[in-house]
Amino acid sequence: METLLSPIAALIGRCEELIADLDLGSVRAWRAAHPGKPVIGYLPIYAPRELVHAVGGLSVGIVGAGEELEIVRGDACFQSYICHLPRSVVELGLSGKLDALDGMIFPSTCDVIRNLSGIWSLSFPTKWVRYLDLPQNFDHSLGGAFYRQLLDGMLHELCDLAKLPYERADLRGAIRAFNANRRALRELYALRAKEPWRAPTSEVYVLLRAGLLLPADEHTKLVERYLELARARDARPLDNARVALRGAFCEQPPIELVKTLERAGCYVVDDDFLPMLRWPDTDVDESGDPLDALVAAWLDTPLEAPSRYTRRNEDKGVTLIDAARAAKAEGVIFAAPSFCDPALLDRPMLLGALDRAGISHTSFKYAENTGQMQPIREQAGTFADSIKLWGEA
Amino acid sequence: MVLTVGIDVGSNAVKAVVIDDSDSYPRILGRGRQKVRGADLADVVRGAFELALESAKVRESDVEYVATTGEGENVPFRTGHFYSMTCHSRGGLFLVPGAAAALDIGALHGKVIRMDERGKVLGYRMTSQCASGSGQFLENISRYLGITLEEIGPLSQRADKPEVVSSICAVLAETDVINMVSRGISAPNILKGIHLSMAGRLLKLVRSAGVEGRIAMTGGLAADSGLVAAMTELASDQAFSIELVAHPDSAYAGAIGAGIWGAFRHRKLAAAAKGA
Repeated sequence: METLLSPIAALIGRCEELIADLDLGSVRAWRAAHPGKPVIGYLPIYAPRELVHAVGGLSVGIVGAGEELEIVRGDACFQSYICHLPRSVVELGLSGKLDALDGMIFPSTCDVIRNLSGIWSLSFPTKWVRYLDLPQNFDHSLGGAFYRQLLDGMLHELCDLAKLPYERADLRGAIRAFNANRRALRELYALRAKEPWRAPTSEVYVLLRAGLLLPADEHTKLVERYLELARARDARPLDNARVALRGAFCEQPPIELVKTLERAGCYVVDDDFLPMLRWPDTDVDESGDPLDALVAAWLDTPLEAPSRYTRRNEDKGVTLIDAARAAKAEGVIFAAPSFCDPALLDRPMLLGALDRAGISHTSFKYAENTGQMQPIREQAGTFADSIKLWGEA
Repeated sequence: MVLTVGIDVGSNAVKAVVIDDSDSYPRILGRGRQKVRGADLADVVRGAFELALESAKVRESDVEYVATTGEGENVPFRTGHFYSMTCHSRGGLFLVPGAAAALDIGALHGKVIRMDERGKVLGYRMTSQCASGSGQFLENISRYLGITLEEIGPLSQRADKPEVVSSICAVLAETDVINMVSRGISAPNILKGIHLSMAGRLLKLVRSAGVEGRIAMTGGLAADSGLVAAMTELASDQAFSIELVAHPDSAYAGAIGAGIWGAFRHRKLAAAAKGA
């Protein structure tokens, strides 16, 4: 039976199809249309995608397999107390689903991703693999010099992969493309914070995730089209609790979890999904030396995620509180992946900061393949009720 | 006048009430109830809502806040949604003033909810996955026995020699019942046996929640006088100091709670808008 979808439902449906395709059909199609151009995967939580774009390649965000893939070989590589993401990434790789990738970038997010980079190098000896040691020393003369050298080396290697002279790499153009993409995403987040009934997080989330697979320009157009449709949408506000979501910066929650939070009476008005697509939250300089600009972005623009070193304990949670207040969130939900050391070790400090700021919160854990939503629904539902009935709002 | 509608979308039936919350104490102006029975849920919800409006003699445009609970998260014309425990506690307190807890027994689960004097949930305990303490189970039994749901309570109270039923599993209990029928055990004795078995499980639940004193029975099974009598009898045998109180509107407790909270939110939002 033919069904007539609204333009917004069709757009979101297209994103859902892209995400659900674990064989990366869209990436394979891109590769076939761009022979010789490298396709490079990258893991959370941040990689300078501009380098891949600069040599005419496609960067592809790899965030696991959700609940659709049975993990067999992935489990053989990791202990039971390790999160789910690396298991499904290994499973995807060894089952040939990531064959369209010419290489992978593993950022220094945590020990698990460091180990995963080693496993990848051993499993795929012919592929290009780079461990991206993001500096935790933010002094330009130390961490900055180190990082510039690292990026420059990566750009040289990517030029070799693309068979492109180093001088012809268009890094400035790439910075422009990703600045435009992040601007569109900032606009999307601003609309959602202001009128979450027009841009529900269950849609924003899939739209965002589509950005892991699409070229930057194409994704920017998609986001801009969604913004246009969402602003014109006939929607009325519900009496929901406005919440900020934290903890989901690396292993991503299933879409059903986000829908469950919304059904439970929450408007998610701020989140930390996929910082790899949204950070930095200001434009990278487009005028000077482009490598210096990328280095400065990392050193000078704080990415509040547990993987980034915070020198003073009292600074922990400051960005979260500011973001929650800016988005007029009435509470914070910590939804962290099971066995995610960075998220779970940071949580007590963030909770303490929220307590001191008088912002209510609740916490639970998930995995990318969490299927049972009833306990989450109960917890989110009672949290939303407590905000609406017993909070100040 | 602050008019609200509370809609409780249950797995078996949709209940709706119109609440007038303009005085110091809320009043129920109208009620509507429709069975789900495989029909399109959106139609059932709309049907119950319109029945309630009709019985209250008010128009939809007069309603300030439509509050849903249960599976009502997707009711498109809702203003807000509240979690079922939040609503059963408030509805239970409204129907049974002074109640320390609500015992909500619906089609699929039994739940005891501890609350304070404002209806704020303090804690809860819920039956496990097993269906043998649920309304759906009793509905199946009534079908086997060829009696209506309304007959279950009065028949059970006429028992003279209740037959013990498995309290572990609905499948085993249903097999027990079929055996009893073939052995010629009377319907009242079968029903009382079932009620005592369910009562035992539910009292254990109440005890585990640390509840004593007045308990408001809510949910569809609150209307089963046989179950309430069996629980009271068993509690007395166990010297368990609780008072189980059912109300003619107990089945509407979730919807009533939703409606009352809807009025509360309406005022709060209006005050916030005024302040802004």
